[in-house]
Amino acid sequence: MAKTKETAKEGGFGDNIRMDGLASKLMGIAGGIGVIGLGASFGLGYTSDKSQFMHSYLTAYAWILSIGLGALWWVVLQHLVNAKWSTVVRRVGELLASTMPMLALLSLPIVIPALMGDSTLYIWADSQKMHADHLLHKKAAFLNRDFFVVRLVIYFVFWGVLSRYLLSKSVEQDKTGAPEIRSKLQGLCAPSMILLALTLTFAAIDFVMTLEPKWYSTIFGVYYFAGAVVSFHSFFALALMWLQKNGRLAKSVTSEHYHDIGKMMFAFTAFWAYIAFSQFMLIWYANIPEETEWYHVRAHGAWGTVSYLMVAVNFLIPFFGLLSRHVKRNRMALGFWAVWILVVHWLDMFWLVKPHMHTEHLPFSILDVTCTVGMLGLFIAAAAFASQKVNLVPIKDPRLEKSLAFENF
Amino acid sequence: MSHHDDDLHGLLAEYETPSALVAACKKVRDAGYAKWDTFTPFPIHGIEKAMGIRMTGLPWIVLAAALVGLASAVGLQWWTNAVDYKFISSGKPMWSIPANVPVYFELTVLFSAFAALFGMLILNNLPQPSHPLDHLQAFGRVTDDRFFLYIEKGDAKFDLAETQRLLDGTHPVTVDAVNEDRRTSDQLPKPLVLTAAVIAVLALVPFAFIAKARATKTDKPKIHAMGDMDWQIKFQAQQPNPLFQDGMAMRAPEPGTVALDEHPDDEHLTAGKVDGQFVRTFPAGFKVDEATMARGKERYQIFCAPCHGVSGNGDGPVAQRAMTLAEGTWVPPTALGQDYLRQMAVGQLYDVVTNGVRNMPAYGSQIAVDDRWAVVLYLRALQKAKAAPVGDLTDAERAALK
Repeated sequence: MAKTKETAKEGGFGDNIRMDGLASKLMGIAGGIGVIGLGASFGLGYTSDKSQFMHSYLTAYAWILSIGLGALWWVVLQHLVNAKWSTVVRRVGELLASTMPMLALLSLPIVIPALMGDSTLYIWADSQKMHADHLLHKKAAFLNRDFFVVRLVIYFVFWGVLSRYLLSKSVEQDKTGAPEIRSKLQGLCAPSMILLALTLTFAAIDFVMTLEPKWYSTIFGVYYFAGAVVSFHSFFALALMWLQKNGRLAKSVTSEHYHDIGKMMFAFTAFWAYIAFSQFMLIWYANIPEETEWYHVRAHGAWGTVSYLMVAVNFLIPFFGLLSRHVKRNRMALGFWAVWILVVHWLDMFWLVKPHMHTEHLPFSILDVTCTVGMLGLFIAAAAFASQKVNLVPIKDPRLEKSLAFENF
Repeated sequence: MSHHDDDLHGLLAEYETPSALVAACKKVRDAGYAKWDTFTPFPIHGIEKAMGIRMTGLPWIVLAAALVGLASAVGLQWWTNAVDYKFISSGKPMWSIPANVPVYFELTVLFSAFAALFGMLILNNLPQPSHPLDHLQAFGRVTDDRFFLYIEKGDAKFDLAETQRLLDGTHPVTVDAVNEDRRTSDQLPKPLVLTAAVIAVLALVPFAFIAKARATKTDKPKIHAMGDMDWQIKFQAQQPNPLFQDGMAMRAPEPGTVALDEHPDDEHLTAGKVDGQFVRTFPAGFKVDEATMARGKERYQIFCAPCHGVSGNGDGPVAQRAMTLAEGTWVPPTALGQDYLRQMAVGQLYDVVTNGVRNMPAYGSQIAVDDRWAVVLYLRALQKAKAAPVGDLTDAERAALK
């Protein structure tokens, strides 16, 4: 409590919690990289292989969308459980979640070709191909262009409105200090969490699982969610480190907060492995052709190597890497594992999407880099845009004192 | 307050707030005491640091226990499945990692959870059935609204006057001298010992029943511990089913249905016959190569070896088990190296695999068409190995036989 009195002074906050010039600088640089990256991707994609462009774009999009959805899930969770440790860093999460309109915009190069009947990614976009395949007839009621668009609009409107509302209410509290906003948002976040679970699941199915419309896995949404949570926390840790390096939140965010973020990275690394194996084992055991087909491709040749590699780089190595509390409390070490996880989560998305393009070899391409860097740039620029006129800490949140004084046992 | 030095066990300081206690802890810590502790109604953030408590070895104990748990699980699964009691399940290999991962996971978690709990208790010298503080009236508020700091006389730095002065300087409500506990006996309480003894004896009862059951025979029907599993509410093959118009539980395929690997027009391939005669050649397009042979060997060892044996001598584990039980009706499986089988047309061997013969059930529903031919190919290799002409042997092998 003594600590709180030192930092949170009357009418102000004893720390630099405004982006000021940094926001526009970040928007310029990240946005510039984003535009160049995606511009180069479109250029290269237009002049060369369309299939390569579409699959690289979807890989990168599944990756960046998972980070944004992870952020939204995290903010909803903090309100839902009335978390106190996280209040000082919650605004940064809210800002990362408020990238939903940008993520909706970035989905257009996937959605528009599908609407025009281009079946490079989704065979169901072409109604003639659907008609020709008897096994898909019954699925056509769900897998068709019109319903696809309806679903996407529902997802993005819900995510966009929810993230916008959570941010604006939190910012409103900065001014009014109204304590009832806390309980109001907690009440809102209970049904929102259920809807978020459903929309995230169906989005994962729509964007990724329907690449192979004959294959299905009921746990697929949870698999995507596990990756989303672990990679969001990694991104979150890096974002906070960057802010602190630039003199923002330097005194308010401590090793204790990084320790908790590190715990989530560790826990969800194990969770990801649990879910990934759960999906695999049931299919392996039951050995039903229409289910094993998906793993068959990923179990042989070059893809088989990637699958085994994923067990190591997505689970075994980061699991032992993040096991120690000293690692979670050390910024350099945590930063290393955060970068590691973001890279291997990208590999996970590559593993989900790209076998659809080539079952034999690994279609790495310069487009993978340009698409990913481009989307990352625009994602950061969107978060920087939202951060322009707000505090980086919800200064009037009644839980802030506890969050500032928070210590792990 | 007066007491004999012999009777003194330690000094207890009482505080009204957590922050007063934390401040006192820092002073006691800096004074260099080692045998002292704090007692509070709830956990206080940051008190470990104020008390100077360092990290314990508990994380390493838990990690070690986790690895022991993992190793135990691997050993258990390997020994029971691949060595001691080989049993084919769902056509999987005897030793396959994915099927065992849930057990690895469970035992790793179980061992680490136990190590965390018991390691914590041991490192904290718990349980302590009695403590001198238990008899102090004022100490009762430790579960309510008071915060205590206790320094034991056994501490190397303990000096009654000096320690008293130190504690007085931390603004306590009171400082009490605590006497040795002379009232509680060193022995464990009788009811506790009795209860433990009764539980220990009762714990042996199930083992006694198991031992008896293993040593005796009975005519009574077996105990059905889980009736829901033993008598499932479901329709089985060949049973009537009133839900369907034809009254049968088994359903026929839709007319005209063709499975993915069926080629109804190619009789040679799917039936092993041409014009009603068993074929003596493998179907067109069937590749006789090492990959097919390996596939046939694998399928053979999964589906055929349990009865016919790995070498085809009719001595698989199922046959051996049946012979051990000496059930009168058991007809031993055919040894596959016999002459009449060596001369049998491949088409007929294929037909036996597909439709069964005598006691042997049909495997057509379990083994795909190509795999059945691969099994026949491997069977031919087994037969050849049993009656290999001398001309097929290498010089070295011939020399070895002489």
